[in-house]
Amino acid sequence: MKKMPFIIGMLVLVLAVSSVAFAGEAQNRLKVGIDKVIAILSDPAMKGPAKHAERERKMRVVADSFFDWHELSKRALADGWRKCTPKQQEEFVTAFSELLEKTYVRKLEKFNNEKVEYVREQVDGDHAFINTQVLMKDKTVPINYVMIKRSQWMVYDVVIEGVSLVKNYRSQFSKILSRETPEALIKRIKDKIRALDEGKNVDEVVGK
Amino acid sequence: MDARMGISTRLSLTHLVGAAALTLFFASSGLAAADTAPVLAAAETPAAVVAAKPADSMLLAYGDDDIWDENGQIIKRGGAAQHMSMADEVAATPDPLEGWNRMWFTFNDKLYFWALKPVAQGYSYVVPERPRLWVHNFFHNLMYPVRFTSLMLQAKFDAAAVETSRFIGNTAFGLGGFADMTSDCKPYKPIGSTEQDLGLTFGYWGAGNGFYLVWPFIGPSTGRDSLGYVGDYFLTPTSYVNPWYWSMATKGYDKVNEVSMRIGDYETLKDASLDPYEAVRDAYLRLRFKKMND
Repeated sequence: MKKMPFIIGMLVLVLAVSSVAFAGEAQNRLKVGIDKVIAILSDPAMKGPAKHAERERKMRVVADSFFDWHELSKRALADGWRKCTPKQQEEFVTAFSELLEKTYVRKLEKFNNEKVEYVREQVDGDHAFINTQVLMKDKTVPINYVMIKRSQWMVYDVVIEGVSLVKNYRSQFSKILSRETPEALIKRIKDKIRALDEGKNVDEVVGK
Repeated sequence: MDARMGISTRLSLTHLVGAAALTLFFASSGLAAADTAPVLAAAETPAAVVAAKPADSMLLAYGDDDIWDENGQIIKRGGAAQHMSMADEVAATPDPLEGWNRMWFTFNDKLYFWALKPVAQGYSYVVPERPRLWVHNFFHNLMYPVRFTSLMLQAKFDAAAVETSRFIGNTAFGLGGFADMTSDCKPYKPIGSTEQDLGLTFGYWGAGNGFYLVWPFIGPSTGRDSLGYVGDYFLTPTSYVNPWYWSMATKGYDKVNEVSMRIGDYETLKDASLDPYEAVRDAYLRLRFKKMND
């Protein structure tokens, strides 16, 4: 049975190769996006606090071309979407996407050459669901992407360890909208962005 | 993304806390009898959840075209639309003590920013990452009784056996657990996640969350998980360190070490959310549900 490891190795190799070959449009597109982000983060010319603003701007260009902010906002607002006037909807999409970019771009700054594995891709009509995992030092974090096909495949939800971004916001928004108007909600988002811009310590912005 | 925070000062309070948790758990199950009855009947399906009645706003939202649940399982095909994934139902766990919970949430938040985080930052400044990983391995290895018991109670004998081999291997050949010798040893047959505790075990048996609950120091929990936590306490070796303040110090150190490797996670969640309490609640319930089914 000495050949067993060799055979298993070949099998794994064949499977790995075939899964690359069969990876569909959606997954390839996602991979392009993630690779772009990784390229920016690991570019030595872009390192350091001095380059922070430029790095953030570049990341946002990538994010804007891979995230369908409209679809994401619509789903996060859920029932509240119809309570908004078209103008409010537009305003909401702008504010919400800015909040997400600000906070998650900051989080990505901690990136330390973690490896991303593409586990599975499912396509159903113009929707796609892609399972990936990020290999960290002491654990593996499953991150799933839900995509929709516009002129190109766009991401509209990210699920980290079973927690969906859209659904997490949905529970917050529905709670706020049960007491307040859409206008007040938009104002809250803008206030939050301003507080982040002013570099306020998170510890001061305890939500009630 | 572990949203739990706070230092584990479970010590002698635990008995009190346990009694309180028990009382609350049963009180709530009594109150929610109408809701839980159908679930108990369907207890043979492992991932049963309390069928809390979802708000209309939630239902409409999930209905339109969610084809997959959070993990990529198909929940909708053709016209047979399912309005909510199981995780959505879990995330709708009632929160009758919201005001009370929010008070402790704020308390834990301050505790994190004013005490735990500065200590963890100072510690990570002095101790490099690798030794901190060893300490993490050591405490993780030490928690073996919790995982083993839970896996046995869930009748996952393969996983329990794998955990046992890892425990023996790491303890004997990994300097008492500091080196995770067995992390590269994958079982031949895939087993589920071995990161189980008693709260998840009760859930696996079909018990619902009951209601959402935030404990001071411990962080987010539910009726069910609080009960599990009491059981886990007795299965945790560090609980038996004598005298009690050494036990507490050991657990506190474990916590600081864990937090030192997760600085920034809670901050991101809080930065990004409009209602941090609600965001943590949703994340906790969904994360626990995922762990239960892993």
